[in-house]
Amino acid sequence: MSMSTSEPEAAAVYLDYAATTPVDARVAVAMNECLTRTGVFGNPASQHVYGRLARARVEAARAQVGSLIGVPAPQIIWTSGATESNNLAILGIARAAQARAAHRRGAHIVTARTEHKAVLDPCRRLEQEGFRVTYLTPDTQGLIDPLMVRDALTAETVLVSIMHANNEIGVLQDIEAIGECCRKRGVPFHVDAAQSAGKVPIDLSHAPVDLLSLTAHKLYGPKGVGALYVSAPRRAEVLPLIFGGGHERGLRSGTLAVHQIAGFGLACELCASERLEETRRIEALRARLWDGLREIPGALLNGHPTRHVAGILNVSFPGIEGESLLMGLPELALSTGSACNSDSDEPSYVLRALGRDTETAQSSLRFSLGRYSVETDIDRAVGALRREVARLRAVAP
Amino acid sequence: MNAPAAAPDQLEPRIRELFGSLDHAGELTAERVGSAELAAERILTGEAGREALGTRVRFMLGIAAQRVVAARYRAYGCPHTLAACEWLARELEGRSFEGPLPTSLQALRIDTPLAWAERLGIPAAKLGRLLVVEDALRAALTLS
Repeated sequence: MSMSTSEPEAAAVYLDYAATTPVDARVAVAMNECLTRTGVFGNPASQHVYGRLARARVEAARAQVGSLIGVPAPQIIWTSGATESNNLAILGIARAAQARAAHRRGAHIVTARTEHKAVLDPCRRLEQEGFRVTYLTPDTQGLIDPLMVRDALTAETVLVSIMHANNEIGVLQDIEAIGECCRKRGVPFHVDAAQSAGKVPIDLSHAPVDLLSLTAHKLYGPKGVGALYVSAPRRAEVLPLIFGGGHERGLRSGTLAVHQIAGFGLACELCASERLEETRRIEALRARLWDGLREIPGALLNGHPTRHVAGILNVSFPGIEGESLLMGLPELALSTGSACNSDSDEPSYVLRALGRDTETAQSSLRFSLGRYSVETDIDRAVGALRREVARLRAVAP
Repeated sequence: MNAPAAAPDQLEPRIRELFGSLDHAGELTAERVGSAELAAERILTGEAGREALGTRVRFMLGIAAQRVVAARYRAYGCPHTLAACEWLARELEGRSFEGPLPTSLQALRIDTPLAWAERLGIPAAKLGRLLVVEDALRAALTLS
């Protein structure tokens, strides 16, 4: 997809769908219907007709989101996005367990070193509160062995949190097998599905998952809205983080943003109906991209060759510093896998967890493709990468 | 995802210009000393940093008749590092000095990395990278 020339860096090819997606035009129409006085603008908590109409729109969206992951609508809790969903799941479950007598001290959580910061930071917060956290190390391709999860469980484990698709390398974890290990031990299992929902099939009617985080803006919905699936048996085991009115049956207070929720719902419905064809098309584009990039001497695929979401490709170009590479590609909008910016000189902790050395980790770029990516975008990206890698390698000592 | 690096359009225009024209990147070799191509009498070379730490710089200064007649560098690092190397190479070429060889940055009237950062609009967080550039230059002047 090429952005219109009204944007900065005119006509830059957008290859950062894992960071966020544009709102689908059909979704924008649905959202717009919930904003003005002729639309569904009411407060869903109100009892009058405007409120009832808004409530109906919210509940229809709840059913659309639930349908995407195979769960009944009432088990969907609206949030502001996956970060809040992850916080609610992790802090909510852990603190509730701590409040129960059996886990007054030494309660334990299992997660992975490659999780998003929205999981790792709540876990670190819990460590400050006295919890013990096990951070599992994946194999060199990013996979967490379910047996590793099983072996990490103790009598004190109150939660396992493992993401479905990794945001940097796209690797898909076997959440069914991991969930089985947890279920056998009666341990709640939370999954961050921000990068996989709408892109790979998720059917929680069969998968042993107790909580699952979603966000709208990764699947062509608006920013600022997300959801947490909480299975019926676990609902009473989650303490809320936000108080003030008891919305969402006490789990998440606050007036519901009807336009965002309506947009989220339709975005999920569109993903469900178009996923197969879209995935096939994006997978082909990803293969075309990798075929072009692998011709660059030393190019190294980060992640798993087959177990990945269609749209994410992470590649290291050893000998090239990632931020310089990114700066040399103004015609492309993508992300470096390293965090070498003014705030941090640390290379990607995800790639370091895979065993990549520092230099390889800081030479990585994440390409993420989506609904509006086309072949000419891929060819332009490959051409630009070949040019810039050659230029920077010529400069290197 | 980790915090993304700065987008190209977030760099200072001067940094973008320098990073986009790394004309002084390259080598000065002893074999070329005194040739028609390189009228240097001597080449001073210094290196600092490591790729694993994010920055590695090698500076080469061609010296003749109490003057820096050519300055080249090779560098691995962030855009600010490469831009600073290019800027310094441009600044150094043509600088004269007293005595047989320049023995310090002061002798070439090159100020501190802090001043480079201020002049080029390099953020304070990148100062550590500039210190590696300075170390490479110092090594060229004191070890050669």
